[in-house]
Amino acid sequence: MSRLRALPRAHLIAGLCLVALLLYPVVNPWQPYPQGVMLLAFLLAIQASSWNIVSGYAGYISLGHSMFLGLGSYTVGVLAVRFGVNPLWVAPLGGVTAVIIAVLIGSVVLRTRGHAFVIITIAMLLAAQIFAVNLKSITQGSDGITLELPFWDRDFQNIPFYYVYLILLVLTVLFSAWIRRTKFGTGLVAIREDEGKAASIGVNTTRFKIVAYAASSFFIGMAGGVYAYYLTFINPVGSFAILGSVTIVLATLTGGRGTLYGPVIGAFIVQVVSEAATVYGGGSQSRVLLFGLALMVVVLFLPKGLLPTIEAWWRRRHPEKVEYTDQAGALNRAPATTTERVRAELAAVNAEDAIAPGEILLDVRGVSKRFGGLTAVDNAGLTVRKGTITALIGPNGSGKTTLFNLISGGMAADSGEIWFDGRRIDGMRPWRRGHLGLGRTYQVTRLFKEMTVQENVVAPLPDSRWRTMFSDAVGGHEAARARELLDIVGLGRFANQPAGALSYGQQKLVELAQVLMLEPKLILLDEPAGGVNPSLLGQLTEVIRELNRSGVTFLIVEHNIPLVLDLCDPVVVFSHGAPIAEGPPERIRTDPLVLDAYLGDDWRPAEDGTADEGAGESDRAETATREAVQ
Amino acid sequence: MTHLVQAIALGLLIGGVYALMASGLTLIFGVMRIINIAQGAFLILVAMLTWWLWHETGIDPILLSVVTTPLMFGFGWVAYRLLLSRIRGSSASMSVLLTFGFALVIEGVLNITAGNKFKSATPSYFEESFRVGAISLPKAQVFGFLAAMAVLAALYFVLTRTWTGRAIRAATQNPSGAALVGVGATGTAALAFAIGSATTGVGGSILSVLYPFFPASHYDWISRLLGIVVLGGMGSLPGALVGAGILGLAETLTATYGSLNWSTLVFYIVIMVVLLIRPQGLFGAKLREDTV
Repeated sequence: MSRLRALPRAHLIAGLCLVALLLYPVVNPWQPYPQGVMLLAFLLAIQASSWNIVSGYAGYISLGHSMFLGLGSYTVGVLAVRFGVNPLWVAPLGGVTAVIIAVLIGSVVLRTRGHAFVIITIAMLLAAQIFAVNLKSITQGSDGITLELPFWDRDFQNIPFYYVYLILLVLTVLFSAWIRRTKFGTGLVAIREDEGKAASIGVNTTRFKIVAYAASSFFIGMAGGVYAYYLTFINPVGSFAILGSVTIVLATLTGGRGTLYGPVIGAFIVQVVSEAATVYGGGSQSRVLLFGLALMVVVLFLPKGLLPTIEAWWRRRHPEKVEYTDQAGALNRAPATTTERVRAELAAVNAEDAIAPGEILLDVRGVSKRFGGLTAVDNAGLTVRKGTITALIGPNGSGKTTLFNLISGGMAADSGEIWFDGRRIDGMRPWRRGHLGLGRTYQVTRLFKEMTVQENVVAPLPDSRWRTMFSDAVGGHEAARARELLDIVGLGRFANQPAGALSYGQQKLVELAQVLMLEPKLILLDEPAGGVNPSLLGQLTEVIRELNRSGVTFLIVEHNIPLVLDLCDPVVVFSHGAPIAEGPPERIRTDPLVLDAYLGDDWRPAEDGTADEGAGESDRAETATREAVQ
Repeated sequence: MTHLVQAIALGLLIGGVYALMASGLTLIFGVMRIINIAQGAFLILVAMLTWWLWHETGIDPILLSVVTTPLMFGFGWVAYRLLLSRIRGSSASMSVLLTFGFALVIEGVLNITAGNKFKSATPSYFEESFRVGAISLPKAQVFGFLAAMAVLAALYFVLTRTWTGRAIRAATQNPSGAALVGVGATGTAALAFAIGSATTGVGGSILSVLYPFFPASHYDWISRLLGIVVLGGMGSLPGALVGAGILGLAETLTATYGSLNWSTLVFYIVIMVVLLIRPQGLFGAKLREDTV
C-alpha cells in the first residue's frame, strides 16, 4: 500500500540518480579514480540486484553467486582468445553459460525445500575453481588468460566500461522490477513466506525456484564477460573468489533484501566503504575482517536492511488511517454483476467436466498415514459427489486434517489411492492437484503476511502454462479478477492492506478468495467457522452456498455442528483415522455411534427410537461407509 | 591390488577424522536448524592454537586436544549466548549469514595475528608409518583416526546415556514437547552448540598434524564438511559417518587412480548424483512438511 504509493517517488529519485550518473563522465572526464570506483559499484549493484531475485524474492540464499561472474569471465576470455573476437560481442554468451549452469545445479538441488541449496552453492563455487585450475587445455590453469587491450584510444580511459556497466545495471534493475510485477514474482515471494502453502495454490515451486536461480545468474554472467575485458587478465583464484560472494550478500542485506532499489543502494555503500577501508585502513589484508564484522552487524542489528527500516520509520512518523476492523465494510455486498460473472465462469469450468452432478468427484480408497507409532489415517475410504457440500466431522485428533493434507498433497500417504475427477492424484505434486481444480484452506489461516490482500489473491496459478506464470500481477486481467473475487467475499476495500493486518475471520475469507482464483472444482475447507464472529459467519455460509449453486463442490471439516447440519449434506463422521458413519444430517444427528464417539449426550434425542437402525450397520467402520455410499 | 587395499585403508582412516569434524556440524543443525558455517573456521582456529602450543612446548599436538577441547566448549557456549541466541526465531538463512560473518572475522583475526602462511605441526612420528603386510599406514593418520573414534564414541555415549544427551535429542525431535517436560530450549541449544564446537577441539588438533593450513583454509574445510552433511542427510549422525567414509574413499581412490587435483571434485559429483536420486540425502528423513 504505502510502499506502492511511494513507488512513483522512488522511481523519480532513481531516474534523477541515473541522469546524474550518465552525465558524470561528461562533466568530470579526467578523473579515472572516482570513475573506477563508480564502475565497480555498478558491477556490484548488478550482482546484488540479480542475487536479490533468488535470495531476496524467493528467500533461497546463495553463498556462491560470484561463481557466475567467474563463469562469464572464463566463457568470454576463452572465446575471445580462441577466435579472436572482441570480448564485448561475446559477453552475452557469458550470461548464457551462467544460465545453463544455474539450471543444471538448480534442477538437482532445488527440488526439495530447505537448506541443501545454500551449502551446495558454496561447494559449486569451489568446484568451479577446481575446474578452472585443472582443465588446463581450455583455461590455461593457474597461469590464467590474458586478453587483448581495449580497442579504444587510451584517452577514453575506462569511460566506455563505465557506460557499458551502467546500461547493464539499468537492464538488471528493469528485469528485476518486471519479475516482481509478474505472477512469477508473486509466486517467488509466496515461496519465501510459506512454501507449502505456495505449492497448494498451484505454484510449481520447483520450476519457480529453478527459473529464479537462472534469472539471477544471467546479468552476472554477462557482467563477468565484460569484467574479463576490463581486467584484461583472469585467473581461477580471482575469478571464483568467495569474498566476491560476501560482498554481494553484504550489499543486498545492507540495502534491503527483497526490495527493488535496496541492493543497488547497498552496493554503492559497500563499494565506497570497502574502498575507503583499503585506502585508509591498512590495505586489503583487513578486508576479510571488515566484511565479516559488517555482515555480523547487519544481521544482528539491521536484519531488514536500510530501505525497509527507513520506510518503516517514515510510516511511523506519518501514520495512515486504516479502518481495519470496519465490520460494515467487510460485509459490503459485492455488485451483483461481478458476482454473476464469477459464478458464470465457475459454472463453465464445472460444466465442461465429464463428471455429471451426483457422480463421484473425489474418491479416497483405503488410504493410511502413520507418524511413527501413531496411525493418523487408518485405511480410510471417502467419496465426495459432485455438486454436494459434504461435511467431515469427528473428534480432535481423528485424522481429518491429515486426510486433507493427503488429498491436497502436503503429505504423501503410506498406502491407498486417491482419485479426483477421474484421475489418480496421490502421486502428484500439490500444484498439479491445484491445476486440476482442487483447492483448500487451512485450519489456521496461512496467508502470505508480508503481501497485500490483493497480492495474496493474485498469487494462485490455475494452470501450468508459462504464459500464466509471466502474466502481469499488478495491473491487467489477473489483478482485475482478484479484485472481483475479493468483492465476492466482501473484502474489496481491503485489497491494498497487508494481509497480516486483517482480523482472523477476514483472513479466512481472503483464503477462500485465494482458492477461487484456482478456478476450483472441489474446495476443501478446514474449519472455516473457527474463530469467525457470527456476522462474518453468515457471510461465509452464504458465499459457500452461492458458489455451490454455480457447481463448485465442497468438503468441509467443521466443529460447529449446527452450521454443519444446516449447510452440509451428506455428513461423514471420522473417528480414529477412519469414517464410522455417513449419511444425511438428520440421520447422523441421531446415530448412536456418532453420539458416543463425537456429538455426546447433548445431542441424544429424548426418546431413543431411531437408534436401533444405526447400531447394527455401524458395527465396523468399513461396512458402515460402504452401506452409506450405496 | 595392494594399491587398492592401501587406498581403501587410507580412505577409511581419513574418513574417520572427517566424521568427527562433521559430527559437530550435523549435531548443531539437528538441534537448532543452524548451519554453522564458522565450523571450518573453528577448526583452523584450533589448528593454529595447537600449532602454537606445540611449537612453544613441544607437547604432542594430538594430545593437546585435552586443552583445546574444553576451550572450544567454552568458546562455543559464549558464541551461542552472545551471537546466535539473538537471532533465534528468525529464518534459518539469517543464521547462515551470521555464522558466515563469524567465519570471516576469525579468518581476519588469524590473518593479522598468525600471518598468512601455511603451517603444519610435525611431531617426531610425522614421517613414520606402521607396516601391515604390504601396506603402510602413516602413524599420524592412525593416531588421528584413533583419537577421532574415541571422541565419537564419547559423543555417542553422552547423547544416548546421559540426561544431557537425552535432553539434546528430545530438543532435536520436538522442541516444544521438550520444553513441556522441563528441557529449556535456550539452555539445551547453548549446550548443543558448545558440544558441537568442542568436537573441533580434537578435530582441529588432528588437522594441524595431517594437513598444512593457513587462515583461508577454512573455506575448503567447511565445504567438505557441509558436503558430508548434505550427502548423509542433514542432522543425521549416522549419515555424517557414512558421508565422511564416502568422502575419504572418494579422495584416496581418485588420488591413487587419477590425480590428486580432481579428488575433491569427485566427491562433489558423488553428492550431486546422490541428491539426484535421494533429494533428502542418504539418511535424511523427509520432514513432516505440512502441519496445521
